[in-house]
Amino acid sequence: MKLRRTKLYLPGNNPNMLLRGHLFGPDGVILDLEDAVAMSEKDAARILVRDVLTRGDFGDCEVTVRINAMDTDLWRTDIETVVPCGIDGIRIPKVENPKDVALMGEALSEIESKAGIPVGKTLIFCLLETALGIWRSYEIATASKRVAAICPGGEDLRADLKTTRSENSEELIGPRRIVVLAAHAAGVDALDTVYADITNDAGLRRETEWVKQLGFQGKSVIHPNQIPIIHDVFTPTAKEIEQAKRIVEAAAEAAAKGLGAVQVDGRMVDRPVVKRAEFTLQRAGLKSGGEK
Amino acid sequence: MQTAQAGTLESMDCIVTVSESEKGRGITVSMEGASVARFGEAIVSSTKDTLKKMGVLDISVSVQDNGAGDLVLRARVEAAATRLLGGDAR
Repeated sequence: MKLRRTKLYLPGNNPNMLLRGHLFGPDGVILDLEDAVAMSEKDAARILVRDVLTRGDFGDCEVTVRINAMDTDLWRTDIETVVPCGIDGIRIPKVENPKDVALMGEALSEIESKAGIPVGKTLIFCLLETALGIWRSYEIATASKRVAAICPGGEDLRADLKTTRSENSEELIGPRRIVVLAAHAAGVDALDTVYADITNDAGLRRETEWVKQLGFQGKSVIHPNQIPIIHDVFTPTAKEIEQAKRIVEAAAEAAAKGLGAVQVDGRMVDRPVVKRAEFTLQRAGLKSGGEK
Repeated sequence: MQTAQAGTLESMDCIVTVSESEKGRGITVSMEGASVARFGEAIVSSTKDTLKKMGVLDISVSVQDNGAGDLVLRARVEAAATRLLGGDAR
């Protein structure tokens, strides 16, 4: 499993952010061709993003591009421009229909095939920014094998729910729970929306702790200063790491002896617990992962 | 005369303005900005190379630089020239 604690949005027509964003150490970057780019600058941003993807350096970051929504006439040109650059994935905004995700999967296969990129390499991250999108989240998450994560929206979703932002985002409790449930049922990541108040560190920490407890694997980020706080919340404590190490070691020992059951600290440990312990070590940077 | 423009004066960016030239006049490049004294030759070379790859042989280019590297300069030149060729002048 890949670490996706933080995904930093980088405006697609801003060279400074596009070239330097990864230096702030997020797990992933999102080069944004959608909301961050004025309609009159879509063409220039596309060229700039293409060249940054081709010639720039993103270190170990997972590189994704947020394309324009599929109800516009921009999305096809977006993917034709960025997918041949060999990106890790695309973010589709305002997904409501599983058929759109399947259609996107086919379009990506065609482009990958022409560009000599392994078919299936480009993952899909779905932004669910309407009530209908949230309601259909499981069908959307399972509409293509490429789907790596589903993400609830923030402001767009609030508007569609005919509500407004409250201090603790009570209005998004239901949607977030649905997305987590659907994501884990479908075997994809649940990634939370941005925390818009970039000066409120305590609020960001509180919200991150809450969404982690719900079952989210990370959050989108709109300011580099938010990255260390979110990483801190998602990074296991020394006690959790020690316990995880004991579980993983005991499981390896049992496997070597051909035993199924493992006992750690006087308690029986089964496979899901071992998997969780492995994930804890991965979050702590002590174990590498390779899955979607 | 048709002109087109791309880019901004934000840090690490540049504004590239292109305008039509008579056939046979070639590519002419004028520049302004703090980096011109040190990187002027490189700016001219990258600008001409980008335009030639696009098949543009006669054009007048003005670059207002605010620390754009080669990558950004080339992207802005391509965007401006594409707008000019596509008739999307601004």
